[in-house]
Amino acid sequence: MKKQLQDLYEQTISAIDKATTIDELEQLRVKVLGRKGDLTQILRSLGTLPQEERVEIGKLSNELKEKIESALENRKTVLTEQQINKLIMEDWLDVTLTMPGTLKHYDRGHLHPISQIQYEIEDIFTSMGFEILDGPEVETDYYNFEALNIPPYHPARDMQDTFWTEDGNLLRTHTSAIQIRGMERLKPPFRVIGPGRVFRYESIDASHENTFYQVEGMMVDKDISVAHLIYFMKTLLKEIFQKETTIRLRPGYFPFVEPGFELDIHCLICGGKGCSVCKYSGWVELLPCGLVHPNVLRYGNIDPDKWSGFAFGLGLNRLVMMRYGINDIRHFLSGDIRFLYQF
Amino acid sequence: MWISLNIIQDMVDIKDIPVADIANRLTMSTAEIDSIEYSHELLKSIYTAKILEVTKHPNADKLTVCKVDTGKGVLQVVCGAPNHKAGDIVALAPVGTKFTETFTVTKAKLRGVESEGMLCSERELGISDDHSGIMVFPQNTPIGVTLAQLYPNLIDVRLDIDNKSITHRPDLWSHTGFAREIAALFNKPFKYPVNYDLAKDFKSKETLKVTIKNPEGAPRYCGLMVNNITIKESPDWLKARVEAIGMRPINNIVDITNYVMAELGEPMHAFDRSKLRGNEIIVRFAEDGEHLTTLDGQEHVLTSEDVVIADSGGAIALAGVMGGGNSEIEDNTTSIVLEAANFNPVYIRRTANRYNLRTEAAIRFEKSLDPELCPAAIIRCYELIKMLCPEAEAVTPIIDAYPVPAKPVSISTTTDFIRRKLGHSIDDNTIVSILTSLDFKVTKNNNNLIIDVPSYRATKDISIPDDIVEEIGRIYGYDNIPEQPPFVPCAPPSRNIKRTFEREIKSILVNDFHMTEVSNYSFVGEALLNKLQLNENKELQLKNPLSKEQDRLRRSLIPNVIVNITTNQRFFDDFRIFELGRIYLKEDRLSKDLAKENTRVTGVIYSKKPAYPVFYDAKACCIGIFDKTFRNNYILKPENDNLPPYAHPARSLELLIHNKPVALVCELHPKIANEFEIKGQVALFDIDVDLLLSLPQQDIVFNELPKFPDVPFDISVLTDEKEYAATLVDMLYKADKEHIADIEVISVYNQPPIPQGKKSVSLRITFRAKDHTLSPEEIDNLQKKVIAFVEKHGYKLR
Repeated sequence: MKKQLQDLYEQTISAIDKATTIDELEQLRVKVLGRKGDLTQILRSLGTLPQEERVEIGKLSNELKEKIESALENRKTVLTEQQINKLIMEDWLDVTLTMPGTLKHYDRGHLHPISQIQYEIEDIFTSMGFEILDGPEVETDYYNFEALNIPPYHPARDMQDTFWTEDGNLLRTHTSAIQIRGMERLKPPFRVIGPGRVFRYESIDASHENTFYQVEGMMVDKDISVAHLIYFMKTLLKEIFQKETTIRLRPGYFPFVEPGFELDIHCLICGGKGCSVCKYSGWVELLPCGLVHPNVLRYGNIDPDKWSGFAFGLGLNRLVMMRYGINDIRHFLSGDIRFLYQF
Repeated sequence: MWISLNIIQDMVDIKDIPVADIANRLTMSTAEIDSIEYSHELLKSIYTAKILEVTKHPNADKLTVCKVDTGKGVLQVVCGAPNHKAGDIVALAPVGTKFTETFTVTKAKLRGVESEGMLCSERELGISDDHSGIMVFPQNTPIGVTLAQLYPNLIDVRLDIDNKSITHRPDLWSHTGFAREIAALFNKPFKYPVNYDLAKDFKSKETLKVTIKNPEGAPRYCGLMVNNITIKESPDWLKARVEAIGMRPINNIVDITNYVMAELGEPMHAFDRSKLRGNEIIVRFAEDGEHLTTLDGQEHVLTSEDVVIADSGGAIALAGVMGGGNSEIEDNTTSIVLEAANFNPVYIRRTANRYNLRTEAAIRFEKSLDPELCPAAIIRCYELIKMLCPEAEAVTPIIDAYPVPAKPVSISTTTDFIRRKLGHSIDDNTIVSILTSLDFKVTKNNNNLIIDVPSYRATKDISIPDDIVEEIGRIYGYDNIPEQPPFVPCAPPSRNIKRTFEREIKSILVNDFHMTEVSNYSFVGEALLNKLQLNENKELQLKNPLSKEQDRLRRSLIPNVIVNITTNQRFFDDFRIFELGRIYLKEDRLSKDLAKENTRVTGVIYSKKPAYPVFYDAKACCIGIFDKTFRNNYILKPENDNLPPYAHPARSLELLIHNKPVALVCELHPKIANEFEIKGQVALFDIDVDLLLSLPQQDIVFNELPKFPDVPFDISVLTDEKEYAATLVDMLYKADKEHIADIEVISVYNQPPIPQGKKSVSLRITFRAKDHTLSPEEIDNLQKKVIAFVEKHGYKLR
């Protein structure tokens, strides 16, 4: 009996080791441990044995039964793993492919790069308490020139070649036109920016467009100074470029500010060494700005003896070109999505 | 404008200052220097040599082989010029001379013969335009000396000034202006090149009268008559200087007047005295219709807004713009009248624009010149004439008509005001010393300053205390002012609702519908509109368009967006783009003065081989905007009438809110698609953003989640092929208003066995009760009710 048990055990273990599928294992389990299994039958026949032998065989049987169960379980784990590994290998997919009809990289939507930078700038200034203003794109001479201290026949009109419309108006040449509209609507103190599209009567080439984008900015409060202006300009550029940028402020003439400046930044294309974008000077003109001319405040019904302010105009095209190393301004209005998909 | 450092050197000693420093300080404090040009640098390395021998080139007919004596040895040079012979003294550019970026003289074999340099023509040397042969010098010219030594006047450094940066500074349209700035910036003495004592020698031998009839047009006029003039070529030094300022040498008198203009900034003119009729110069407005032929040969019909210089016979010059041909000096002129005047900038600018004569004189006069320049320029001019024609004689004193002298400008301010504006504590002494260095006379009493402005800054440039702030700031250096955040209350700014709305729409289209934003010109042209059959001639026209393609403002975003399709279909089989921008409607007024601007968003779906009509994509995008901005109370109206010509008549849908058409979704009309050679299917939507924004947002009302199960019920209904599914759905909702929770079209089928002209619409109706689970009997009843309802309305079930 003992021998019989031992043989059964060894045969079973050997069969378990040889089993290659979970089904085989299950069959083995039924054959040995099932209700009519070999080991079960042996256990059932225990009653016919003498008491002493019965105890000994009984104990052995249970031990072997546990060992067989554990062997079955172990083998099952191994086989399951093998089976999954096999499945995984069969599932191999060329993940470098893009299937037709699925989303390709350009199927994402793309905001125009000018909009992207405009919204960034809006967010930077809104976070500093600036309100966003609007103005018409077809403007009157008054808002675009006269109220900005550029009377008719002023030579400064040459600085901005202008498109005129049949009804005697013009396409605004700068977002500065928004300054006067802002002052008419708001009581000081205030902080505003006015992003928008502007136009110049100018032939188009790689660095000139007749249509481009600016953001005007203006702050009117008590005792606003050049030092305040520098603070906001530096903060703006630091936020946009996410690093300290080297700037220089030099005199620049714009009739609506006094004093007026040109703010240059170190050319980001060449790092200031000199390249075609910065005309080999290492500097790029980015931001005309200055303290609001008292006459302009008066045009806006603000008393220049009580209030003062700064204003600036930021060219968005130039900024985007600097940021991404774009060398041709004509891309912006080309409608070419090969360009737009890059942003 | 060009500034010659040779001319500057006469007024301020800059020999020891590096040119780059001058340019940099000027850029940072005065005016933008666009570039620095080292004139005739080449002449420093090219030297004279004597040709010892000329032989024919063995392999080339037109070339010669020359042996030249450089003074230090003999070189062999191959030369292609026709004019040289042994014994000539010529200019030799040695090996290494760099003429241009791409041309440097090298030691090379030319057709097999070694050449160790190049013999130069006058054009190659930059001395004249002569390129007929190499330059040959007089026999007494020493050999081995550089051309820079022979032509010292040509060696110069020129600064190219950005004219825009000196628009407000009449004084800087001259070398004296820049010399004064350089003197102030580098703390050097400045020497004004005018010796007023010379006027003492002017005799009263002849009679000349000047009458200003209209001082509002011409505040001052100075004249001087000079006899014993000999018209001739200018000496080299003067020609070099005239060329350095960017002008062409003509003759001694013209060159002197041009030179004085560049030096002092006062445009001058010289009349031939013999051609003047009478003894009086009259400065007046022209008569309407008066004729004048200017020096350039153009005949002008003048208006009463032009200022002219006239004699008893009529106009002899267009004041401040150009002289007249009838009084021009010629080679035989011996007596001249010099003019230095001051004109009203507005008249000059208008006249110059009217006749398109943007002359050097006009450009200066329109900046508001200093009237004190008039006598100064006359004296300086006389000095130079005397230098070139020693026998010349001033036969009148300066005839100075100046009926209403300009009042001196004095500005009263405080050092505190200056500090407050700059936001930086510059001490009083620095402020005063900066002003003094700029020729301002300062009277200081504690913090109060009374500042007398020099006449050359007083015409317009400096008139208010803020102008003084600029003077201090620019000389002190803006880079030396540290930044400072202002102390202001901290509060959220009010929101610009329209901008927020535009941004939201863009975000929906980009992020939810994978559309790409394009930006197009605001302009369109007739040809494009004709192609789209959109030309109603209602566009706001430009008076001065750049081209026919861009001669009017768009009334719709669609034309340019359709052009975008043609641009992109070459590269992509599928794309979706949109533009959000303004159109301009001249018949609707934004205000009395301005055309209405209407913001719209237009989107395009393009697919070369769409799986289903692209219309549905465009509709989804459009409705997406309405839903996500909570303007979801729209009515969908399949539109057949009044469609724009680009809309496909059988594939168009209008979205209405409160009966107002807010948007149109359509496919592109096949004939337009043909016209534009569009290869795929195109659907578009066009939304009136302003109108959409003006409509109230629908409130968000929270709905309790359903507690009881939905029961679906699918039916297929046979309808006419061209009946809108929406009609059926709307009708079906009425079958049981309480228990029908939803109706959805699952599929539409029109293949056999469906009879022709019919289609089968499969619908999924969802039944639900609010307060209990529907019982089998209830469900059965509802189903029967729906079927009966459908049949009652004349439909057949399948």
